[in-house]
Amino acid sequence: MNFYDYLSFVYGALSTVGVSFVAIIVGIPLGLGLALLRWARIPVFGKCAYLYVSIVRSCPAVTLIMLIYFGLPQFGISLNPFVAALISFSITATAFNCEIWRSSLLAFDRSQYEAAQAFGMTRWVRFRHVLLPQIWRSSIPGLINEMTLLVKNSPAISVIGLLDITRAAQRIGARTYEPIPPLLLGFAIYIIIVMLLIELQKRLETRIRSAGI
Amino acid sequence: MNAIANPKPATTDTVLRVQGISKSFGDNHVLKDISFDMQKGEVVSLLGPSGCGKSTLLRCINWLEEPDAGHIRLNSERMGYAGSGAKMNDTQLSQMRSRIGMVFQHFALWPHMTVLENVMASPVHVQKRDRKEVENEARAVLKRVGLEDKMDMLPSRLSGGQKQRVGIARALAMKPEILLFDEPTSALDPMLVGEVLEVMRDLAADGATMVIVTHEMKFARQVSSRIIFMDSGHIIENRSPEDFFDHPQTDKAKTFLHSVQYK
Amino acid sequence: MNLTDFQIIYDERETIYQGIEATLSLVFISGVVSVFVGLVLTPLFFSKVSWLRKAVEWLCSAMRCSPFLLFVYVIYFGLPSYGINFDKYTSGLVALIVYHSAYMAIILRSAWVDIPADILEAGTAYGFRGAAMIRRIIGPLLLMRSIPMVGNQWIQIIKDSAYLGIISVVDITAAFNSIQSIYFNPFVCFIVAGLMYWLLCLLIEFIVNGVAHYARERIA
Ligand SMILES: Nc1ncnc2c1ncn2[C@@H]1O[C@H](COP(=O)(O)OP(=O)(O)O)[C@@H](O)[C@H]1O
Ligand SMILES: [Mg+2]
Repeated sequence: MNFYDYLSFVYGALSTVGVSFVAIIVGIPLGLGLALLRWARIPVFGKCAYLYVSIVRSCPAVTLIMLIYFGLPQFGISLNPFVAALISFSITATAFNCEIWRSSLLAFDRSQYEAAQAFGMTRWVRFRHVLLPQIWRSSIPGLINEMTLLVKNSPAISVIGLLDITRAAQRIGARTYEPIPPLLLGFAIYIIIVMLLIELQKRLETRIRSAGI
Repeated sequence: MNAIANPKPATTDTVLRVQGISKSFGDNHVLKDISFDMQKGEVVSLLGPSGCGKSTLLRCINWLEEPDAGHIRLNSERMGYAGSGAKMNDTQLSQMRSRIGMVFQHFALWPHMTVLENVMASPVHVQKRDRKEVENEARAVLKRVGLEDKMDMLPSRLSGGQKQRVGIARALAMKPEILLFDEPTSALDPMLVGEVLEVMRDLAADGATMVIVTHEMKFARQVSSRIIFMDSGHIIENRSPEDFFDHPQTDKAKTFLHSVQYK
Repeated sequence: MNLTDFQIIYDERETIYQGIEATLSLVFISGVVSVFVGLVLTPLFFSKVSWLRKAVEWLCSAMRCSPFLLFVYVIYFGLPSYGINFDKYTSGLVALIVYHSAYMAIILRSAWVDIPADILEAGTAYGFRGAAMIRRIIGPLLLMRSIPMVGNQWIQIIKDSAYLGIISVVDITAAFNSIQSIYFNPFVCFIVAGLMYWLLCLLIEFIVNGVAHYARERIA
């Protein structure tokens, strides 16, 4: 492996982490919105949110990303591959986030919320100071787990020509006729990413516990 | 201590001989030099305050816990050690265990098996007896505990009292040489205790050899041939029920009887 | 999107059948086999032999960190360096089985830990041990208790199977991809592909719910 090979790993790692990170940032509020639609039992929208999650949850990453990247230009929306990847992963992250928030909401005691209403808190205050802190805490393991899922699905971006860790490893192997060493190196990078995420989870959990919220 | 732990030599009728059993969990000395014998047909109630080691003693008897010191003999065969003195392998242990019937506080029925399957499981799969023959016996045993109409039900459909009667039937189906009961009625609603005690009384009258850990003092007095009273890992009384209940010798036993409001 | 788009898809049904057949067979075989391999691996987590325990723990953590596609590459491009050559379909199948067996083992292990201790103890007290204990008592309970999680994993298998198009297995996604590359109708092709995966997942959910209903009163 030469210098450029290592460089391609760095580049691959950046797109892997970048796509996953952006997706989760987009997915957190959108997913929360969908989950709240279902939680508040808003008639038609609640059902739509359910349908959205059900369909997206079962769509393979490869299929979804090709739909976005190859399909949208048919309607005159042409995207550069990186943007297509971001959109596709955000769609997935939103669906998964919705499920995470929803299970936190289900565990949340509805009567607390109603009690807050009795004290005359406005809808926003209730949401921001009663509901959110509690469900945020119970959502952290799920969010981190989702992040690892996104990282593990990031090789899907290679089908629209982007370079991620796995694709970098495979390309180097094809050139050098020694496929195993670059694959192992790629594997090592994934291990590091996953371990960092687990560390992040621990930090967040201790911070939340010490902040007492 | 040894004076109250049976000093007589074992006879051919000695079903269980417990000699000098000790057991610790870390620094916690739970059983300290426990010895007693049981003759065929004897019913011993094992009493004592909670945490004194009763469950641990029962678990040592069938080697669910391995004692740190001492011997257990079941009809003169040593538990846990083969004839040569080497430790038993798993097969030998499982054969020994299948000669002891155990009834658990929380029933511990296998939830995925029907009542009949629960009762037949060990005779068929461990003792490897003929399925047809076992099934006939299992039906008879279930009839004996009054559950002939529940045979094909799942345990989750039964009341606590019915579950425990299945637990007893499951033990009986193995034709055990001794039955161990660990608080068989403690998890039951008061209304359901009677039906289980009824079955046990019937077994006692039939000559089964039983060790019973229980908090039902009246019952213990009626069915037991002997009471063993334990406190912090020692046997401190080992006497006839009349002696024990009417004239407890030790302060511990008096306090205990007072605390369970035995009049 | 218009009627001719669907006409094209209908005319190309041979290709699509081929894709459906590949996806279904891959998912079905690996779904069933991985549960059984998982069942064999799970007891090793509790083995008294420490290297066995370490080995299975290592295998499972490794699979948990690796993306599926990377593992596919190891099987498809890596193994030939050791003289092991599978064709693409077999490579994909082996990858699905090994990768998801590790996940199944993790799922089954956590179900094992959750079985009430006294139920297992009753097994020991009544003379069950080793293979008989697993076959008669632990195994059925494990399977029934982990049905929802196993169902989720099956959905994961369906989704991962779509990666195999990258090593030229003609599965549902690859079949539609080849059609759209001829007729330039990517949107409808991938929408239909996505709906097929959705139906497949709904079917799995339906089965899982049915079995879970059966299991509910049998798991303590
Ligand atoms: N597996 C174990 N590990 C550690 N300590 C135990 C274990 N089993 C029992 N003990 C301890 O042994 C003591 C006696 O317990 P047990 O035999 O259950 O008492 P009893 O049945 O008389 O209430 C208790 O202090 C308990 O905490
Ligand atoms: Mg006890």
